[in-house]
Amino acid sequence: MVGNAAEAEDLTQEAFLQLFRKISTFRGESAFSTWLHRLAVNVVLMKLRKKSGKETSLEQVTEPDEESGTPRRDFGIPDLKLTGSIDRVNLERAVEQLPPGYKSVFVLHDIQGYEHNEIAEIMGCSIGNSKSQLHKARMRLRDLLQETVRARAREERRAAGSVSSSED
Amino acid sequence: MEGERPSAAEAHLRTCANCRALVEDLESIRQAAAELTDVAPPERVWVSLRAQLEQEGLIRDASARKSGAWQWLTRPFTAWPRLAIAGAYLAALIAVAFALSGPIDQQYDDYRWSSAMQDSTAPLSAQLNTAEQAGLTSLATSDPTVTASLHDNLAIVDNYIALCEKSVRDEPENEVARDYLYTAYQQKAELVAQLAEHGDGSR
Repeated sequence: MVGNAAEAEDLTQEAFLQLFRKISTFRGESAFSTWLHRLAVNVVLMKLRKKSGKETSLEQVTEPDEESGTPRRDFGIPDLKLTGSIDRVNLERAVEQLPPGYKSVFVLHDIQGYEHNEIAEIMGCSIGNSKSQLHKARMRLRDLLQETVRARAREERRAAGSVSSSED
Repeated sequence: MEGERPSAAEAHLRTCANCRALVEDLESIRQAAAELTDVAPPERVWVSLRAQLEQEGLIRDASARKSGAWQWLTRPFTAWPRLAIAGAYLAALIAVAFALSGPIDQQYDDYRWSSAMQDSTAPLSAQLNTAEQAGLTSLATSDPTVTASLHDNLAIVDNYIALCEKSVRDEPENEVARDYLYTAYQQKAELVAQLAEHGDGSR
């Protein structure tokens, strides 16, 4: 979530410290894992708020102007199929570039396997909002990964071009 | 995307290549994400966490020694002021490392270990006291955000060192515990070097 191993370690420690300090406040109304996850998400969001210097809600940590979620069309640039070309490193890099709200929901749902009702409880949002954020996250990842594929294709063309010109 | 698609959507996908490609891409992303695994935090996170919890009194170690002899040994280290000049600290660190590597093949009883550790770390303590005063003075006019961050990191490492020293005291023959303690001193030396550099840069 924070894109930095050292910071992630610090926040992991802080989350467990909060757990020990606040364990007596757990009322058993939700699953313990859900309660712990909510606590951890709050620790991360607090950190991100401090970094940005202002209060942020789940909605604000996504890009509010991206309302439609429909496929973006860059005219003249064909969509490249991703099937078979997504590798772990590129996907992780793309996930790191997501806005915090998209990233949170994507990580919780697609990577860690939480259902939308659980995510809604963890993030303090509605189920509908969780589904919307997930869809937008996947759309953004598609754009980022397609750009990676295009960049790789451009590099390969350049490399092929320089080889053939040196052979001339 | 979630659950079964309506029949109208299925019919559309059969005729629209663009939407079919979109759905396939989103499904590929979902499948690739499911194969990503979480990364476990390194051991130092749990060691540092335990030190912090013990310091706050949130947990207690049932096997902790209660005798005054151990308390006088730990008190100076946990009350150590922050810094030493990096070079002098590292020289003292080498002395500590030598002392820590010494008893590997021998059976030290607790008193002999505490004496050996005290002999090698007492000069370090004196140097740290002197260098801390110099470090604090040089930090007075530095960026408060960076200074606070360095202080926080040093507090974490100091707690980690205290916990590692306790582990070595409890199990003098435990090589892993000694390795952890030496690693903790190395981490502090690195922070000391950063702080000295930061203090110098602010002048």
